[in-house]
Amino acid sequence: MAPPEDGPKEHRRGLTRAGAGGPRYPAWLVLPAVSWYVLFFLVPLGFIVATSFGTVVGFSDIAYTWSLDNYRYLWDDVVGELHIYRDIFLATFKLSIVGTLSTLAIGFPLAYYIARYAKHKTLLLLLVIVPFWTSFLIRAYAWLIVLDPEFPLFRALGMSELVERQGILFSEKAIFIGVTYNYLPLMVLPLYAALERMDWSLVEAAQDLGDSPLRAFRRVTLPLALPGILAGSLLVFIPLTGEYIIPVILGGNKTFYAGSLIAQQFLESGDWPLGSAIAMVVIGALTIALLIYARALGKQEQYG
Amino acid sequence: MSDELSMWERPLNRRGFVAGASAAALAAAGLGRLGATDALAATEQGGTLFYYNWAQYVNPKTYAEFTKATGIKVKKGFYDSNETLAAKLRGGARGYDLVCPTGYMTKELISEKRLLPLDWSKLPNVKRNADPKFLRTGDDPKGTYSVVKDWGTTGFMYRTDKIKERPTTWREFVALTKKYSKTSLVDSSPEVVGSIATMLGYSYNTEKQKELDAVRKVLLELKPHIVLLHSSNYDTAIARGQAWMGLGWNGDGLALAARLKGKARYVVAKEGGEIWIDYYNIPVGAANTDAAHAWINFVYSPRIAGLETSYTYYGSPLKRSLLRGTAAGALLKDPVVFPAPATVKKLETNQVSAAGKRLRERIWTEFKAS
Amino acid sequence: MNARRGLGAYSLLVYVFLYAPILVVVAFAFNGGREVLFWEGFSTRWFEVALRTPEITEALRRSVLIALGNALVACVLGTMLALALPRMRPWLRTPIDALAYMTLVTPEIVFAIAALVFFVQAGDAIGLDNALGWHTILIAHVVFNASVVALVVRARFVSMGQSLEEASFDLGAGALSTFRQVTFPRLAPAIFAGGLLAFTFSFDDFVTSFFVTGPTSETLPIYIWGQLRFGVTPAINATAAMMLGLTLVGVVVAYLVLRRSEQGRERGGLPGV
Repeated sequence: MAPPEDGPKEHRRGLTRAGAGGPRYPAWLVLPAVSWYVLFFLVPLGFIVATSFGTVVGFSDIAYTWSLDNYRYLWDDVVGELHIYRDIFLATFKLSIVGTLSTLAIGFPLAYYIARYAKHKTLLLLLVIVPFWTSFLIRAYAWLIVLDPEFPLFRALGMSELVERQGILFSEKAIFIGVTYNYLPLMVLPLYAALERMDWSLVEAAQDLGDSPLRAFRRVTLPLALPGILAGSLLVFIPLTGEYIIPVILGGNKTFYAGSLIAQQFLESGDWPLGSAIAMVVIGALTIALLIYARALGKQEQYG
Repeated sequence: MSDELSMWERPLNRRGFVAGASAAALAAAGLGRLGATDALAATEQGGTLFYYNWAQYVNPKTYAEFTKATGIKVKKGFYDSNETLAAKLRGGARGYDLVCPTGYMTKELISEKRLLPLDWSKLPNVKRNADPKFLRTGDDPKGTYSVVKDWGTTGFMYRTDKIKERPTTWREFVALTKKYSKTSLVDSSPEVVGSIATMLGYSYNTEKQKELDAVRKVLLELKPHIVLLHSSNYDTAIARGQAWMGLGWNGDGLALAARLKGKARYVVAKEGGEIWIDYYNIPVGAANTDAAHAWINFVYSPRIAGLETSYTYYGSPLKRSLLRGTAAGALLKDPVVFPAPATVKKLETNQVSAAGKRLRERIWTEFKAS
Repeated sequence: MNARRGLGAYSLLVYVFLYAPILVVVAFAFNGGREVLFWEGFSTRWFEVALRTPEITEALRRSVLIALGNALVACVLGTMLALALPRMRPWLRTPIDALAYMTLVTPEIVFAIAALVFFVQAGDAIGLDNALGWHTILIAHVVFNASVVALVVRARFVSMGQSLEEASFDLGAGALSTFRQVTFPRLAPAIFAGGLLAFTFSFDDFVTSFFVTGPTSETLPIYIWGQLRFGVTPAINATAAMMLGLTLVGVVVAYLVLRRSEQGRERGGLPGV
């Protein structure tokens, strides 16, 4: 996923000329969104920040004691024999990476086909997302039925035994399938948005000039698709770091992720202060990682 | 997209699966005229009741009868666990007139001052018809904030066609879990930790570190043999044969047996376990407390209480004698719905303190993540 | 040509992957029994039950309206953000970037509870009796979805190069007319894709909606999750089947109509849309 060292000439020129000095859209355009963020996101988040320094009194009343206990708990890292970072955060990272790569692998050729070859582009794009207007829960439960060795189709094909042996349901495999399924449109749509504007004659020209299809792809298509790949990867990777429902339903709830840990504090243990502290660590770490990532890209791609 | 289920979910039986009972309900509804006049005690009031509840925990007929008798319309909302309800109330949501948390949560909500005191002058049916022991429960000893909705037990269920043994104790439950690796557990620390504690001879509510350490050891050994941890899917998983055995609630056990045409059994373990109680509570911020009182009073008339029990299959808090001849009449002898007094005696309600809860949650986190 | 055919066949497989589980749901919606696991004969009665359950129909209507409103607002805010942000000075841009990323990385349950507390307190401060309702769901959804739209739109805007915009500005066109005549036509597919995602996120959202809504404004996901302990009830399967059927028909019809009207106009309207 590393940015290319060298983009196509035209692309590069367009961006270079768009240096910081030229005329541009006025900066105040950010104001509506930024005010919305500040008022309806940052201010509420202040409550979480304050809570993360609080202490639970009684069952779940919160005393704002400005103590660091919750962060210390995280710093200490261990619950019994369990290491929060090594065990839980690592599993979360793995889930996010697997989900991102699998949606990219499945979604890219699809987006490419729709953008380059399909006659009814918009229709095909809509058809990617229509299943997701049914309800998350219904889709998850549908997979419970489909992955069941006793699913009538498997029985009809005499495959029940085989499926049973694979032990997919209530395992990590089921989680990966569910994640790939549910996050696929998040990858396909940005990919399509980026690929759609591609000038395919460039690709053909590159091939005419003797590039192999693969080389043409790498030199022409990929650089232009890159912003879409990055946007899609972010849209899949980021929410996945907080995912915990798919593991509950399809994974049998036997694996714990960062999202599970946070949700457990808020919804099960009634320990909002600890949940807030974990959330702050996750939010902080991911935001910084994203900024570094975007900055690195910005240099490469001359975002600014 | 979130939350689901991690939470404690109360047992409910799936009434639709229990076929024979609906016929009984119909027959009895005609017979049970006893409570009809009580039902009208609430008189014409009008207005709207916003009833926030577990799904399918009220007989649909009861809504209609209530509106007919009182003129109060019922708006329904549903939550899926005690904890999500509590999180909402703790966040300050208001406008909910009537909620039905489980005992331990009622106790927490009382301690956090999130419930309104009841006006007992508006609850003549409750005073008259309730079994006295349900007027003084451990969760709210003076009945200041709560009236019992219904009650049940936590035990285990298993497929009699898959498992040749006939377990009757938690010890056997654990041994068979290790033997078959086909066990489900509800996703809720009080039940699982408490049940294992009773297996080890401790109190269901133990908070002693040493005893909890022993529970933890058993649980961690058990983890590799668990198929799924879920509070609402588990009985379906057992019905499909994905799991053969599961820790769960009596209503689910009864429904499971009905779904599998008797090839499943629900057991209250010999060592003991939990008896749970769900309550009617009026949360702070309720818009129509009169309507909430009217509802509580209404469902305490024997005929309506019979309708409710015949639908939910959970124990009714009314005096047993009043239910004879109601829709619930046929269930009075079912030991799963109304366990024998000797069985009930061994059971404890969840009375874990806040400090104890924190200790147990740590074990639970470790168990789930291990 | 070969690549084309191969990719076409591959794409078909992906669509099968996308629709197969949903078709199972549709099939079970026609199951006569109460049981959602075993086939008990063909019946349409669950469709009737669903249509006669006001909790379902009202919630569905509310969900659609909120999702549409959310998509609209998110598209406006997100696109404006995406237009201005790439060329802002780093010291100004970085904090805004961070803010937008934060809305995406915040675990939903955390934001949901924070928003609930905020709306209740804010409502009290301005003397509202009950601040929570469909509007608070909409407000909360836009926070996240504006960032989604911004991310998708910005990816395309940045890679597009901005010489045309610069030329337009140089020729004295204002921001609005530059956007209308130069940028929008080229950005439309991205705005459309972002809007679709925003609609979908909102329409399918449970956690945020659950916490920030009031007693009389439940959305369809809230209703469905409330029924959770019973797995998925047949009435819910029927609702999903109807939604799928309606959206498929709607999508295809809308597409054909738009296409025809586009062909009626001169060619070269919105690229790809």
